[in-house]
Amino acid sequence: MCGVAIDPAMTALQDAFLTVAEAAREPAWLAQWRNRAMQGFIELSLPTRAEEAWRFTDLRPLITPRGLPAQAQAASADPFQLAAHRLPGEAHRIVLVNGRVAPDLSQIGELPHGVWLRSVSETINLRPDLIRAAFDVSDAFGAQSFAALNAAFFSDGFILAVEPGVVLRHPVEILHLGEAPDSQAYHLRNAILVGADSQASVVETYIGSGPGWTNAVTNIDLGGGAVLRHVKVQAEDAAAIHLAVTRARLAETAHYDSFSLITGARLSRQDIQVAMAGEGASLQINAAYLLRNDQEATIAPTVDHRARGGQTNELLKGVMADRAHGVFLGSVMVREGADDTDARQLNRNLMTSPTARVDTKPELTIHADEVKCSHGATVGDLDEAALFYLESRGIDPVAARTMLIEAFATEVLDVAALPSEIDAYTRRYLAAWLEGDSQ
Amino acid sequence: MTAILKIENLHARLTGGREIVKGVSLVVNPGEVHAIMGPNGAGKSTLSSVLVGKAGYEVTAGSVTYLGRDLLALGAAERARAGVFLAFQYPVEIPGVNNMYFLRAALNAARRGRGEPELDAAQCLKAVKAKLKLLDIGDDLLKRSVNVGFSGGEKKRNEIFQMAMLEPKLAILDETDSGLDIDALRAVSNGVNRLRDPNRAIVMITHYQRLLDYIEPDFVHVLSEGRIVASGDKTLAAELELSGYAAFGKAA
Repeated sequence: MCGVAIDPAMTALQDAFLTVAEAAREPAWLAQWRNRAMQGFIELSLPTRAEEAWRFTDLRPLITPRGLPAQAQAASADPFQLAAHRLPGEAHRIVLVNGRVAPDLSQIGELPHGVWLRSVSETINLRPDLIRAAFDVSDAFGAQSFAALNAAFFSDGFILAVEPGVVLRHPVEILHLGEAPDSQAYHLRNAILVGADSQASVVETYIGSGPGWTNAVTNIDLGGGAVLRHVKVQAEDAAAIHLAVTRARLAETAHYDSFSLITGARLSRQDIQVAMAGEGASLQINAAYLLRNDQEATIAPTVDHRARGGQTNELLKGVMADRAHGVFLGSVMVREGADDTDARQLNRNLMTSPTARVDTKPELTIHADEVKCSHGATVGDLDEAALFYLESRGIDPVAARTMLIEAFATEVLDVAALPSEIDAYTRRYLAAWLEGDSQ
Repeated sequence: MTAILKIENLHARLTGGREIVKGVSLVVNPGEVHAIMGPNGAGKSTLSSVLVGKAGYEVTAGSVTYLGRDLLALGAAERARAGVFLAFQYPVEIPGVNNMYFLRAALNAARRGRGEPELDAAQCLKAVKAKLKLLDIGDDLLKRSVNVGFSGGEKKRNEIFQMAMLEPKLAILDETDSGLDIDALRAVSNGVNRLRDPNRAIVMITHYQRLLDYIEPDFVHVLSEGRIVASGDKTLAAELELSGYAAFGKAA
């Protein structure tokens, strides 16, 4: 239970919604859609710990004395501050500040023919068809209250649409900076539509300062044989809150490769919901989450095998120091008829402190024949024998610990086998976390 | 001449357990090779663990002086940086820690300990490759994780290779011959013999006399029930081979 009366807060939220809706000057269908989403959120209200999927999540840090944080205002950012977070090499870059695309900081560059990459706000006016396609990919506000709230309030986001048969050579780089000085919300709505036999990669990074709340929803649709590599680095401020839902639908033989590195935010949750809709679709979900102090992070991949011959490989590893709390809620469903599915799910946890906490729940439901499925979870602490071995070679205890934690976490990067520039970029954030550990 | 190691009336036990080392005294001078032999349960591994500062042991009486310093006051990593090296009986596998990365960290720790400048990755690789030849080890070992996927012989050879890299003043070889076939034993022994040095002392802890055929000690000590019950030159080992440990059990 949140233990907070939501009714007066809900009234405030509805008032805020009316103000936003009025100011938006959007097409009627979209206004209507937002309106339905708002009604949906009111019906759902906030999830409580009575719900299985939210049993381990403490949402109290999200609630301010005035209810849910209000929408953040547009802001600018210092380009020098952003430079340190840029992806090396060539990229199509979109920078968002406080939930809105900052055109002067973005540099999309030249796109191949058949590729659309723009902010949501521009796309609404220029390509409403893409917005409809993007937002109708899955039910926008059926099941999840934060996704519904996002649909009602979203301020901006990015739309990447790749027509069939196009290979986007350089990665799309999305950098979100949250700079609100107090509890304000950044409702981001994104879509990645990759047509049949097309290829793209997207690297999203979330950074900033202060206690802002990122509430992101990303819809992904992959056509037959499409390949998407999707990397997310969540390195938000230690006071921030980050909730994100990614929903993907894979057509036949499409491949979705998801990698997440989570080191930031006081409270975070990453839901990755994948529909393996076409025959022979394949999926990789790899993630490393490293938490310290009082951080809490949930990672919840939900994979729905609906067709034959799908493949899923998941390796998610958590490191919990101090009083940190890591939660893994993994579910793989193999439906009737989804024969020859091959699904592996593994969550491994390293607790480096007796006051850290781990909850892990890998689930597997099988309604088909001839499937190869495995799932497992481990929880352990640092190997004392390995620590002593390192110390006996002159390596200080703190450095030895860091070395072992790094070894534990980097296995995920080794498995993910990211392209070298993205790999190096990701390792920088990992190194930054480890440096914090040795201080 | 300052002794490298001076153990005086050392008593030690597993924390909270019963006493296992019951009054060991030993002086090891530069250039000397000592063998400490004894049956299972004699206190050999407790003695080596206490010397290198492994957690879980406590010294209840006596002292250990290393190059004039109180060794027992130092942490395990400090002892290593001061030049104390243990070749493990069971080298530990560390998945995910690259051997080269580990060697560089260890080498630079040792160099810091000696007040020498640290080596960068390229310099370190050069130093490593030179020593690999010494022990006839292939450089594919450098790409692997520390001890992961190594055979028993490779693990022991890797220990001696690390010893060659770190150039300790005092090397303690803990049951280095255990689990080795004759070829591996020969390779490891050759490596150790090449590391014999007038400024370095080596203490071999072993159950069997076999190792001493390959690495000839200057002194042999028999450890029994936590005490050194006999000391002599290498002929003592041969005598021990003939009569067995039982003959020395209650001596002294």
